[in-house]
Amino acid sequence: MSFLQPMLLAALPLVALPIVIHLINQRRYQTMRWAAMMFLLAANRMSRGYARLRQWLIMAFRMLVIATLIFAISRPLAGGWLGLTAGGRADTTIILLDRSPSMTQRSVGGGGSKLETGRRQLVDTLKTVGSSRWVLIESSTNKPRELETIDALLATPSAEATSAASDLPAMLQAARDYIRANKSGQTEIWICSDIRENDWNADSGRWQALRDGFLEFAQGIRFHLLAYPQADPGNLSVRVANVRRQKTAEGAELLLTVRLSREGGSTERLSIPLHFEIGGARSEITVDMASPQFELKDHRIPLERSQERGWGRVSISADANPGDNDAWFVFDQPSPRRAIVVAEEPQTARPLELAAAIAPDPTVQTSAEVVATEQLPTVEWEKISLVLWQAPLPEGKAAQQVRTFIARGGYVLFFPPRTPNGTEFLGARWTTWGDNNKEVPIESWRGDQDLLANTQSGTALPVGQLQVRRFCGLTGEFTPLATLRGGSPLLARVTTDRGGAYFCATTPAVTDSSMASGGVVLYVLVQRASAAGSEALGSTRQLVAGDTSGEDPTQWKRVDGAEDALSTDYPLHGGVYSAGERLLAVNRPTTEDGAKILSDPRVAELFRGLDFTRVDDRAGNISSLIQEIWRLFLIATMVAMLVEAGLCLPKPARAAGVAS
Amino acid sequence: MFPDRRPRSFLDPTVLSRLASVPLFARRPMQGNVSGRHPSPHRGSSVEFAEYRKYVPGDDLRRLDWRAYGRSDRFFVKEFEADTNLRCCLVLDTSGSMEFGSEGVPKIEYARKIAAALGHLALQQGDAVGLSCVAKGLVRNIPPRRNPAHLMSLFDVLEEAKPHGETQIVPVLHELAETIRQRALIVIISDLFVEPELLRGCFQHLRFRRHDVAVFHLLDPQEIHFRFRRPMRFLDMEGGPAIFAEPNEIADRYQKALGNYLDGLHQVVLESAVDYHRVTIDENYEQVLMRFLVGRTRARGVR
Repeated sequence: MSFLQPMLLAALPLVALPIVIHLINQRRYQTMRWAAMMFLLAANRMSRGYARLRQWLIMAFRMLVIATLIFAISRPLAGGWLGLTAGGRADTTIILLDRSPSMTQRSVGGGGSKLETGRRQLVDTLKTVGSSRWVLIESSTNKPRELETIDALLATPSAEATSAASDLPAMLQAARDYIRANKSGQTEIWICSDIRENDWNADSGRWQALRDGFLEFAQGIRFHLLAYPQADPGNLSVRVANVRRQKTAEGAELLLTVRLSREGGSTERLSIPLHFEIGGARSEITVDMASPQFELKDHRIPLERSQERGWGRVSISADANPGDNDAWFVFDQPSPRRAIVVAEEPQTARPLELAAAIAPDPTVQTSAEVVATEQLPTVEWEKISLVLWQAPLPEGKAAQQVRTFIARGGYVLFFPPRTPNGTEFLGARWTTWGDNNKEVPIESWRGDQDLLANTQSGTALPVGQLQVRRFCGLTGEFTPLATLRGGSPLLARVTTDRGGAYFCATTPAVTDSSMASGGVVLYVLVQRASAAGSEALGSTRQLVAGDTSGEDPTQWKRVDGAEDALSTDYPLHGGVYSAGERLLAVNRPTTEDGAKILSDPRVAELFRGLDFTRVDDRAGNISSLIQEIWRLFLIATMVAMLVEAGLCLPKPARAAGVAS
Repeated sequence: MFPDRRPRSFLDPTVLSRLASVPLFARRPMQGNVSGRHPSPHRGSSVEFAEYRKYVPGDDLRRLDWRAYGRSDRFFVKEFEADTNLRCCLVLDTSGSMEFGSEGVPKIEYARKIAAALGHLALQQGDAVGLSCVAKGLVRNIPPRRNPAHLMSLFDVLEEAKPHGETQIVPVLHELAETIRQRALIVIISDLFVEPELLRGCFQHLRFRRHDVAVFHLLDPQEIHFRFRRPMRFLDMEGGPAIFAEPNEIADRYQKALGNYLDGLHQVVLESAVDYHRVTIDENYEQVLMRFLVGRTRARGVR
């Protein structure tokens, strides 16, 4: 049991008051000369039995009256929050609200989603507990926001579910920063989440730093986790893995690859109707699903010949979690991939030009042009998707143009100049060429993502077969994607807000590497970068909720989905939006589908050493987590007083009979 | 009434004058020295016919009933009842417990009033009065006399009687039963804090000796009701160990012990034919004595 006013429990020693009064009373005796001693002696010799028991009972009930009264005014709580407020009323209460789509899961019996239930429970509980200040940190912005009252948690749109994933470590980081900046007193942090692995990033190294950070606070931070760990094995999620438009003899068609995931990994055969809506036109097919994952590959939907761009939605029937039943997509004619090659050596420029100019698909228009450094001002940057730069790193105006190009979403692949001049660009610079006469093998490369990722069939690129004869050193801040033996980077990426800037430590020249002769790696490298760069040129874009890199959400207008969302929250809600001529499809992150729930020991491990309590609730629970039970104690007080009074009542006076 | 004497605190002339209207009777024949108003076990010269008896040589010829001789030709002597005075022995308990009195008047003072009034009444009607003060033993003993001057010395003894020491009334009563001549009125004035079974022997002894036994059992209202609010330390007035008691806790058992005692005593006095009067000392002693005298008038002894 816990108490809202635990300080009042300090008055519990008053329970001994009846004993003290009894002892004092014993000491305040009167002395009297008495004649009828024979009766007193006889009374003393008699069995005290019930009389003594009665005295003890009276004493016990008097103590009980005081104890229950103290308990009653200490405002006891009944519920699972053990040790809820042992430290008294909090100065600041920070609420971390997980708004990820998985929190919209509902229970079978109805009664609201996990998020709705959690908010209501938090409001009920925190209203009872009380605090001087309420701060909300919700998962979409991770920014602290003060609430005037805790009731605002129910009303604020900032607490509604979104399609964006949560980042619990980042939210805790924000909480820690808030506590540090505001020097708040006793602080309680309440986390409402369904503890999905993708939201909690339990493997992240940030947790250790967070633990250490919170332990530094002298005032003591208390953590309360309101967890909703129940997963619904019957829940299905739908996602559009790929969409492309292609011309046919009749006109055009849309090739949609739809992926269905089932939570819980059941292999029961299900017939699932899939609803397609393209530009308002609806169609439906039924698919049979007999595995945890199902992919409908290149489902063809005919289009009007004139419909070159548009949007659509794939839906499944309502299930436990309505947040993952829709997937939106936009389509358009593929943008032409235009590349320019800035090279100081013709033997380097030619392979790059070829790699950029040869189209991987007949439907894709590719072109490449070799441009001298002096001609850069005349280049139509807004039509370029890729820049291949084998020259001293740009400086001055050229550097500014390249930065603008990257910020717009363009990709640049730098190769080392023959004579590095020490110029730095985006935090990286070439040092000197190595003087190796032997080939340097490639030690490792990132096959899971980025330019050197495995193919769609899962086959690795033959990066290891490349022969690197000479390479140039690279220093600065970058992320290596491929590393040579000895630790020198072969391919590295510099962090940018949008677009991409890559540094390749060797050139396709025959004297430097076999990139030109064994051209697969170079070709894939260039075409992937070019394709990524051309996406920014297209009039449609697929976005992950919460990630608006390169976009200006203030210009967005809703086309489909996100009916109840505020316009400022459009990037957080799945749907289709228009920004001028462009169409944007926003979907929940891939990691949201089928995310596992963290095990209890794992969660406990994350809060190891911190003052942490956890209670598991379920979606739709209508009973309060805690409730005040002082009335029960007051009733107990009254009952105890009545019993005590009954015991104290004198017996029908026998003395009267004696006297008569 | 007592011209040359100082006034006694235990004497109230108005009460005595009112009580004098009712004579003090014995419940059984008394054996006095002189003629009086009490029945005697012997034949005498009163006007009350008793019986006929055959004449034996030596009888006074004046007592022959000549008419009976005329009718039966036999000699019969006509006998009459004798009236005599009585010897009233007042037994006053002067043990320490008699000093107790919760309402200002101690039991000993009450006992003095009763003893003095009875002594005065008895002497007024020509009876002999004696006094025995009992505490640890027989403290003072004045044999019964019917001289009016004897009353003064009896009052002096009453006045000087101080409660002290423990009660040894049982052996003293046995002793008095033996030492007082038979057929006397013995009035015991005491709080009788003795086991009833011990008193049974005393009363039966006195009854065996043909004494008429009357008992004034003095109790204080506090001793009966035992009403206290605070813890009390009771000091024994007769020198016994002190007892600490929580009245609320012990009251029940006290009342039970008192009830047992009174029941036992009641049984004893019934079986011993004792003229028993339980008196709480907040009662008016005049009424108590009046009740006593009237009661004895009804139960006046037959020959």
